[in-house]
Amino acid sequence: MARVIVYRILGSIAAVFGASLLAFLIMRALPGDPARVILGPLASPKALVEVRHELGLDKSLFVQYWDYITSFLSGNWGYSYTLNAPVKSLFVERFPATIELALFSFIFTMATAIALALLSTYRRRPVTDGVVRGASYLGFGTPPFFLGVLLLIIFFKSLHWLPGPEGRLGIGAEAPPSATGLYPIDALLAGDLSTFWESIRHLILPSIALGVASFSFIVRLLRANLLEVSREPFLIVARGKGLARWTAFRRHALPNAFLPTLTTAGLVLGEFLAGSVLVERVFDWPGIGSLVYEAIVKQDFAIVQAFVLFSALMFVAVNLIVDLLYAAIDPRVRIPAVTAT
Amino acid sequence: MDALNDNGSVLSVRNLSTVFETGNAATCAVRDVSFDLRPDERLGIVGESGSGKSAMALSILGLIEPPGRVSGGEILLGGRDISKLSDRQMGAVRGKEIALVLQDPSTALDPVKTIGRQIIEVLAAHEPDLKRKAARKRAVELLEDVDISHAERRLDDYPHQYSGGMRQRVAIAMAIALNPKVLIADEPTTALDVTTQAQILSLMDRLVEDHNTAVIFITHNLGVVSEFCDSVAVMYTGRFVETSGVEHIFSAPTHPYSEALLNCVPNPEKLAQGPLPAITGFPPDLSQLPSGCSFAPRCPVGKDLAQCYEKAPVTHRISCPDGEVGVECHFAEARARGAST
Repeated sequence: MARVIVYRILGSIAAVFGASLLAFLIMRALPGDPARVILGPLASPKALVEVRHELGLDKSLFVQYWDYITSFLSGNWGYSYTLNAPVKSLFVERFPATIELALFSFIFTMATAIALALLSTYRRRPVTDGVVRGASYLGFGTPPFFLGVLLLIIFFKSLHWLPGPEGRLGIGAEAPPSATGLYPIDALLAGDLSTFWESIRHLILPSIALGVASFSFIVRLLRANLLEVSREPFLIVARGKGLARWTAFRRHALPNAFLPTLTTAGLVLGEFLAGSVLVERVFDWPGIGSLVYEAIVKQDFAIVQAFVLFSALMFVAVNLIVDLLYAAIDPRVRIPAVTAT
Repeated sequence: MDALNDNGSVLSVRNLSTVFETGNAATCAVRDVSFDLRPDERLGIVGESGSGKSAMALSILGLIEPPGRVSGGEILLGGRDISKLSDRQMGAVRGKEIALVLQDPSTALDPVKTIGRQIIEVLAAHEPDLKRKAARKRAVELLEDVDISHAERRLDDYPHQYSGGMRQRVAIAMAIALNPKVLIADEPTTALDVTTQAQILSLMDRLVEDHNTAVIFITHNLGVVSEFCDSVAVMYTGRFVETSGVEHIFSAPTHPYSEALLNCVPNPEKLAQGPLPAITGFPPDLSQLPSGCSFAPRCPVGKDLAQCYEKAPVTHRISCPDGEVGVECHFAEARARGAST
């Protein structure tokens, strides 16, 4: 087990290193001069040289990379000239909104995916199965931002069931006292049910828009795994012991079918946590994604560069947790098999 | 519950039929099979792959899954017809009165549950009040019973830490855990190497003796039948074409199919006669059975006889020197006489 952990952690570090290198090189390879962007087209050559020196752009690439990594690790993620604030504090400010949407959407996605996969496999009714598979194909082919707009047109514009693109709470509404940074939980902690309900209502549409593609993928994966596992002889054995159909299915088919899905679930959560630029934009969600959108539009490279590394970190962290979880759950990963009788 | 059926048998199968309906084709896996199992009998069921052996085993346990179903017949156990029981009521029979051992020990155990949990599962399914400690103690005893050393420690191992032979011992331990009246073993030694096969057979021999369990032993290995069973049924296209004591099949097989099967068994004494004969042709498609005798197209006796293609043979009960024999062949009596003279 210790070996597994060490191995996985080393792998994660390597992945982050690769991502940082990529982020660094891409930013350097892009056309355009950051100093020029900061100072505008009318800046004097002297001022440009000064700003380049200030940004360290006149040093060798290796030194620049070293500075970039060490300052990122020490918490200095650069300075946003468009928003006049340190990048890190911008991230800290925006991250709770992204976490909130990511977690809500993830739970929503997984719960519906599991429910539908079960529905289409447990009794094996061809009609239910067909509907679930059809729905998952549709979701697979729909881009999230387009779905977001579609949802807004239906549930906000036409039906008035759910709030429009106004962020986490209604315009002018006061945020609950911050404890976790997640509005629904903070509202519950403060005993403020109406704010809780409002924040949930605001979460529904963006969660669906964000989650549908992953949902489609997970449903199909889970369905295939469940079908495969339900043909395993150990299920017949379990039934032969006298277990009821559902008990045998729950105890033996579900855990075995979920294991391969765990990795995908981790990828999905990592993706959600890194913030979805387009979905946050559509719903005016004040998270990391919106921040990056603004940064790209205004060519604020410090934010974009920090974002690339940040999302890589999120991704790697979640997957590291999944890998460790995997080892904890699946004995075949944790314990070596016998070779001799 | 210790009652036997009226005719003194522990299990009495009457006109059992099982079909698999897919689209508009109905595959008759078991066709009108009847037999009685004495309380201490070991009935071997032999036949080629696809002859309906496994389908019959699962039919008796009520574990045929859609699109298959038991389409007719009675299965009498302790005087009651268990084929009419609900799935829940059958749950009380499975594992407790009729137990099952499957062919491939590498897939018969759930890979992510410990051996101990899987053994205790069968105990707990029928004794809901069983305490944890008592259950564990009995699981250890069961493992010791099937000759697994360090049973206490090995209880917490996972299946992949066991060898194939040990896993099959575990499967047997689970099957005999509650002293079932009938043990259905579906090719329990087929997936094992020869040495392990012999060990498993002698283990079953001992346990079945100790627990007074009747056995239905499904196999395509006639050698195993001669060693382990005391009666034998030859199955072809879902029917028992010959049932007799084990000596009869080996000394004077009456049905042409039994004879052909026996000729396929490697025999050192017949080495000089050249390569092993094979039964020509393939078993017919079970969804399009020919009228008349289903073995006729491959039968060395009836291949060219119109009678065999026109009329399905009935079961002839013949008294032979080594007991009564049931043979489903137009020429049964002539062939039996021919063999005895």
